[in-house]
Amino acid sequence: MTGIGPLEPGEGTWAREPAEARPAPRPWRRRTLLIPATACAVLAAGAALWITRPRPAPPPELPFPAQTVTVTFLVGRSTAPHRLAFDVRLAVEPGPPLTVTRVSQPYAGMSAESEPRAPFRTAAGSSRVITVTMRVTECGRVPKNAALPFLEVTLRNARAIQTQSFILGPRYTRYLSRALGEACGESTPSSPKHPRRLNS
Amino acid sequence: MRQRSLIAITAALSAGALTLTACGSRDSGDNGSDAKGGTTVTIGIDAPLTGDLSALGLGIKNSVDLAVKNANKKEYVKGVTFKVEAKDDQGQPSSGQQNSTAFVTDKSVLGVVGPLNSSVAESMQKVLDDAKLAQVSPANTGPGLTQGPDWQKKKVRQYKSYFRTATTDAIQGPYAAEYVFNKAKKKKVFVIDDKKTYGAGLAATFTDAFKKLGGKVVGTEHINPDTKDFSAVATKVKNSGADVVYYGGEYPQAGPLTKQIKAAGAKVPLVGGDGIKDDTFFKLGGPAATGDYATSVGAPVETLPSAKQFVADYKAAGYKEAYAAYGGYSYDSAWSIIEAIKKVVDDNDGKVPSDARAKVTAALQNVSFDGVTGKVSFDEYGDATNKQLTVYSVKDGAWKAVESGTYNGS
Repeated sequence: MTGIGPLEPGEGTWAREPAEARPAPRPWRRRTLLIPATACAVLAAGAALWITRPRPAPPPELPFPAQTVTVTFLVGRSTAPHRLAFDVRLAVEPGPPLTVTRVSQPYAGMSAESEPRAPFRTAAGSSRVITVTMRVTECGRVPKNAALPFLEVTLRNARAIQTQSFILGPRYTRYLSRALGEACGESTPSSPKHPRRLNS
Repeated sequence: MRQRSLIAITAALSAGALTLTACGSRDSGDNGSDAKGGTTVTIGIDAPLTGDLSALGLGIKNSVDLAVKNANKKEYVKGVTFKVEAKDDQGQPSSGQQNSTAFVTDKSVLGVVGPLNSSVAESMQKVLDDAKLAQVSPANTGPGLTQGPDWQKKKVRQYKSYFRTATTDAIQGPYAAEYVFNKAKKKKVFVIDDKKTYGAGLAATFTDAFKKLGGKVVGTEHINPDTKDFSAVATKVKNSGADVVYYGGEYPQAGPLTKQIKAAGAKVPLVGGDGIKDDTFFKLGGPAATGDYATSVGAPVETLPSAKQFVADYKAAGYKEAYAAYGGYSYDSAWSIIEAIKKVVDDNDGKVPSDARAKVTAALQNVSFDGVTGKVSFDEYGDATNKQLTVYSVKDGAWKAVESGTYNGS
């Protein structure tokens, strides 16, 4: 082996195969890469769209009954020994219908009832006049000079039952003070008429 | 061709997804105080941010911040970005006055929420009114601030720029008296106050109403709010035979006071106003506070659907401090200013006018909206038309609502 012959190829002596000599990638192979990528992108987009999809707003919560009612003192009707009557307006805001289950007052020495007699329903978005009659059972224990007298009204709607104190303001305060004085014989009754019989 | 179409659809979907994701990120990371262009309008806050009353003050600050963030997020006033500037009054009238002057100097301030204390409000009102700068307090209950010092005989509005969302002690004191006399069946009261505008005023309206109902005042005392030793007063309560104590003042004193009264042997409930209705009261009072009462402005939060959203938003915003007794009222106070600014800007072709302060003050008089605490609007004195009150009692280490009242003086 002394003659010059072709060199045996050693490590790194292989010539690079020309690029054009490589077999061209077949179209199906590119597609196999593209399909999973596309699927991922579509899934991601779908997920994003699903997460951010417009959702129907939850139905509004029903309000508690006391938040839907206004009670306003209107006018005194009559007084008689141990008895007085006055009108209030009960207004109910639009929304769920409301039932008045009780009308009462917090003072010892007297009791209250209403016409219409409780329980009664008042349609939402409407108002009605209620006549409250108070009977004095013990003149020595009535609030003839209360600073902020109130009526207690128990209300019910589809959401809850609540007893709310309705503070009827200075006109009611003055009226109650005068009427209780009259009902307890401390001054002449303002009206000679006999009171209507209510709820009895 | 089919392949190119697939790539185009994928690209479009991905771009859409990215856009949607980006929108979501922007919303969730939105900071209400960040400017988005347009005019920046500042809403000032004055409250005790440090000191004994900071639990209430920080609740006010955070709730106003939340309102501003929501307004900015919704772009509620087109072309206006709101920011807040909170100043600490430490419950001191002099600090409140200095803060007012600073707000007046800053021309971007178009409204101020605060303060907590009626005594601080007295020092702020004139400064702000002279500049026609609107002020809405979520917490002041002293009747004289709106109706004048002679309010029991003749009501006269004091300042056109002053409004409040909380109801007054003209109602709160008598409402407490009605509850104590008729429901709690207590007939002999020992009345204590801290000599401050709020505390003394509230104690006076309670006392007057309690006596009118037939109750007896068996003793009165004034305490120094700078001390925490009330043992001498506690002994007087014990010896008086009172079956209830009424305290006109705030929780930093009321907590130790109830503890010392019970320790002296007088096992009678202490009743106070909104100034003691904070969790710190029973933390300071310990078990002795169980069974004590407080009246506070507004209906219980859990009965107001509008408040539910506020509570959720407040929690989501991650504030460290609780919104406390005046959170809902603070939010509504801030929102009333925002509503007024919206009206002024809308009426001026979407721009803030040069005389905005005067116009915002005028617009505030007519705002009306459904707020956290119910309908928000103001009467001819600047007082809230929504006048609700609730009696709370300490039970199992928490304030529990006992009953609520609604005032309608019309």
